[in-house]
Amino acid sequence: MGIENLKTTLKNEKTGNSLILKTPLIGASGTWGYNVEYQDYVDYKYLGAISTKGITLEERLGNVGERIFEVFGGLINRIGLENVGIEAFISDKLPILKENNIDFLLNIAGNTIEDYEKLALIAQTNNIKALEVNVSCPNVKKGCLEFGLNPESLYFLISKIRKVYEGFLIIKLSPNTQDIKSLATAVESAGADCISAINTLRGLGVKIDYINNKFYKKTVQGGLSGTCIKPVALYMVNQISSAVKIPVMAIGGISKLSDLFEFMAVGASAFQIGTANFSNPSVIEDLAIELSEFMQKNNYKTFDDLKKDIKNG
Amino acid sequence: MLSFFLRNLDMKKEFIGKIEQIEKISSDAFKMVILSDLQSVKCGQFISILCENKTLRRPFSIADFEKEANQSLTTILFKIKGQATNYLKSLKIGDSVDFLAPLGNGFEIDNKKALLIGAGIGIAPMLFLKKELNKRNIENYLITGFKSRQEVIKGSDRTIIGGTVLDYIEEEIKNQKPQTVYCCAPTVVLKGVDNITRKHNLKTYLALEKVMACSIGVCRGCVIKLIKDKKIANYSVCKDGPVFLGGEIIWE
Repeated sequence: MGIENLKTTLKNEKTGNSLILKTPLIGASGTWGYNVEYQDYVDYKYLGAISTKGITLEERLGNVGERIFEVFGGLINRIGLENVGIEAFISDKLPILKENNIDFLLNIAGNTIEDYEKLALIAQTNNIKALEVNVSCPNVKKGCLEFGLNPESLYFLISKIRKVYEGFLIIKLSPNTQDIKSLATAVESAGADCISAINTLRGLGVKIDYINNKFYKKTVQGGLSGTCIKPVALYMVNQISSAVKIPVMAIGGISKLSDLFEFMAVGASAFQIGTANFSNPSVIEDLAIELSEFMQKNNYKTFDDLKKDIKNG
Repeated sequence: MLSFFLRNLDMKKEFIGKIEQIEKISSDAFKMVILSDLQSVKCGQFISILCENKTLRRPFSIADFEKEANQSLTTILFKIKGQATNYLKSLKIGDSVDFLAPLGNGFEIDNKKALLIGAGIGIAPMLFLKKELNKRNIENYLITGFKSRQEVIKGSDRTIIGGTVLDYIEEEIKNQKPQTVYCCAPTVVLKGVDNITRKHNLKTYLALEKVMACSIGVCRGCVIKLIKDKKIANYSVCKDGPVFLGGEIIWE
């Protein structure tokens, strides 16, 4: 049984830009590495794309100290954008993606507007089809999230990127805001083609041990992800899709078929799966098969038909 | 080059195994033997088990491995620490276990006399290594340390109870005259062993433990810093490790 019925196209009606996905299931940035790292666990034909680890202009070693803190229903991370840098990505990682025919979103992050412009230009020069702009990482001191929380600066940043990058432009938004609708509107009017949401929520993990009459405290502050953030993601995706016409990729606590349906009901056109890969590294393959089988059993010829029915349900 | 489209069942790394044996081996530690299709492992490698209600899998060093026709028996030892290990403890013979394996790099085995050091549950990979060294007729001596008599896990040549095993390493280097040292223990002991064996210029393999998220090297959650050829870089404990060479680790 094939999964051809999962093929879908994300389209920005205004610019005419589109992204064809062989399935609407995408490996979320930071959980999928750069290319074939999951090959022992997943057949990549089930993935619409992978979103690469967030890439910066220069190589970054990330944060020092504990980086992971598990909580009920999720985890807090403070990796701090450790990555190989754009130059090494283009020379070492990109050829492997191409050789293996893996569709991908290049996820980029910067400290300054110039950083983002340079990265976008490199993406353009290398004919990279889709760019996901991270303006929402809570784990770095400078830049990134600073651009993502203010509609004016976000508009300005995306306009600059749009000038140099012609491919499918996705903006990954933060949930750490009072006004997601204004951010979404700014993204759309600046000419982006798609919004992915949400990035992690700010969180603090605290562990107290009591040993030999003494308390020991351990804290990890970072971004919260996993099934526990799904209601926040549903709320945000709902707000975003009611404010803009461009397609929305849902991210946040997705791990099972009903999660896909719930996000489709609030306007999602595709899905990114992140933290769930850690418990089940073949979760995307499993979801693709389940979704495809559900559609065949219930006479949905295309993913778009299913989406329409769920949305109107 | 990389051609993952040729991926076949032999390469599969996710297994559903069946518990063959589960028993208490000390006041707070258990032994679990899992029957599965896992085909081969190296000493020092680990498996990562999915535990009920947990987002993250839990890593366990392989304490023994035996082939049985097309299948195999993988032994792990675990100490009760929290919900995940309590869940494992609650499992019964015949229950299934979802695990990823084999993970990590494992120990290099030189054909030289070896001193093996374990502290607490860190004895697990040392028992497997000892068995392998014995099989290859490589002389070895295993010294381990436990907090109390009740916590002792059997199988060592010398067992230190109370205090720290670190206080006995100089003595055993003198007595045993090893050329290679292997150690699996909490960070404070690993660091201590690293310092001592560096002084004696002994090749040392240290097996580390760290909270892991992906178990396959992509998330960068469990990285440590190593210095190699005067260059500092991040290495993941789950994929590049868990075994690292003494003298290369930059202890936090």
